[in-house]
Amino acid sequence: MLSIKGQVIERLLQGAFICRTTDEDGWRFLTIPGNRDEVDNYLGQLNRQVATVGAGGQGEVFFCGYRQLGDAERKVIGQQFRDICQALTPLAEWLVLVQEAAAQDAPLTEGTPVRLNALQTVIEDTPAFREQLARISHYRLFGSNSPTVDNQLKLVFRRLCELGYLIRPNPEKQIYLATGKLDYLYEVIRFIDEAEGLSLEAQAEVASQGQLL
Amino acid sequence: MSGNLHQSGVRFLRQLGRHADPIMKAYLGGSLADDELEPGVQELLVKDGILYRPEPGADLHLRRVVRALLEEALRNDRNRQIDANAASTLAAFMTLADHYKEARHQGDYAAADVHLADLREHVYAFGETLRHSVRVLWSRINNEFGYVGTLNAKIRENELTQSQVSELLGGLELVSFETLAETAGDLRELRHLLVTNLQRTLSACTQELSIVQGRLLELLGRFREIRGRTRLLKGWLLHMTQRPDYQAGPHAGGRVVPQLFNQAPPILAPASLDIHDSTLEAELLALLAQIRAQSQQDRPAQLLGDAPDLTLHAPETFEVQPSPIRAAVDAYFCQVIDSAQAISALDYHRQESLPWDAESWLYQVIGGYDGLPEAQKRHFELDMIGEPHPLYSGNFIIRDLRLWLA
Repeated sequence: MLSIKGQVIERLLQGAFICRTTDEDGWRFLTIPGNRDEVDNYLGQLNRQVATVGAGGQGEVFFCGYRQLGDAERKVIGQQFRDICQALTPLAEWLVLVQEAAAQDAPLTEGTPVRLNALQTVIEDTPAFREQLARISHYRLFGSNSPTVDNQLKLVFRRLCELGYLIRPNPEKQIYLATGKLDYLYEVIRFIDEAEGLSLEAQAEVASQGQLL
Repeated sequence: MSGNLHQSGVRFLRQLGRHADPIMKAYLGGSLADDELEPGVQELLVKDGILYRPEPGADLHLRRVVRALLEEALRNDRNRQIDANAASTLAAFMTLADHYKEARHQGDYAAADVHLADLREHVYAFGETLRHSVRVLWSRINNEFGYVGTLNAKIRENELTQSQVSELLGGLELVSFETLAETAGDLRELRHLLVTNLQRTLSACTQELSIVQGRLLELLGRFREIRGRTRLLKGWLLHMTQRPDYQAGPHAGGRVVPQLFNQAPPILAPASLDIHDSTLEAELLALLAQIRAQSQQDRPAQLLGDAPDLTLHAPETFEVQPSPIRAAVDAYFCQVIDSAQAISALDYHRQESLPWDAESWLYQVIGGYDGLPEAQKRHFELDMIGEPHPLYSGNFIIRDLRLWLA
């Protein structure tokens, strides 16, 4: 049997994001600085280290990053960056769809439950949501070509589970939990926003005020 | 005088109790239309100051004090009112303390006692109001302003609450213990009330209020972050629809890669099995057992071909043998019909010298009677002759039966 440290190292090397929702024990283990240093030391032999996003405390997410960057590593990272940039728009659209269909103020964050059945009912009853879902599911990230809402939605959720944005704690129930990887996604958008000076928040505010008028 | 007050107070409370229904309706609905109350009752409630009409022609509203009483009793957190007026309360303290000192000075101890009791009431009420305000603040924080729906409303409510907390703290700053101690002088009761008691209340409340303030700021930060995320998502989508060919810059390609994008790919593949490792023998055998169990499950499908042919043929005819005791019961029924008289079952049993014992005969008669179709049953009456059990109530011992035509 692996110790909790071994489990954490294994998960990190598998490319997993460790947050409170996916692996509470591992997450607690890593929030203690001494433990994190131990894991860091171990990963150092493989030119890797524990990386983290989110402010310390509740919303912290851990993943495995490179310690030193050579040319090969840069190439890998560049590819990953392109991948995540391509995934941003479908994921953002999906997040907005879920938020609007559930009539909530807050977009999904780590630990928020999503009930597939409830979501499906709302989407089936609302033509605008149906169109939105069809568009989202036809992105290459999800790659659906099914015409029915049921299949589209199930495929999107399955893909999101594969990608680690959602987990399904009980395989017999259609209840999903958002993971810390979604919080990572927000950080990516925020980073791009700040780095490129897009002022996305201001744009959205102007647009929503325009709608009100 | 006090007897009189007591009586009218009791009358007022009874009034409240008697008209609890319309009062609650007014509390929940905000107002009460004229036609919902009888004119007499309406006049009475208005006269007693329970209901009032804010302007001519408007519906009847609940008086503020009654509403406050109900809010307090029902722990209703829609109550956003916080009394932050410490200055006037303090002025009242000073005035009452001066009254008390003057009365003592003049040797009028009865009046002094009354003033002291009054002052005590005021000081306690002040502490109570403070604690109430803190409680209201906490309940708002604890349900995260759950009584308003949208995030923007929550942010506004949070800002309102913060201003109220600042006002409360500002009011508490007005309390100067130096002045109070000076006013109290060396009078023991006054000192206890104005300095010791007040200080204890204030320090507790101030401490709690600063925690409340911290929590409110934290909540506001969270609300803003949530709102920020929603806007971030919408802004991104908007941006992408306006400029579909937008490509984020090569942030991961520069000399310094931000930590956010420094993500190593997975390198760990599942390990393989070592079948020569004797320590794993138990696990390996368990795995093997599973494989065998599955193959056993497959076997019935193969055997199905060997099953004998299934042929359908007509079932053998059979006859229901009439039971002799049932035939005897039928005969007994016929005898009753023929004679048109009530006949005891045991008498018939004896008369026909039937072979079955009396008890099973009686059972069979009851069964036969109950088994009759409803249309035929109507023509018969079955009397149970017997007595209740001497010891156990609810038990009836049947000694005989008598059947007759209804």
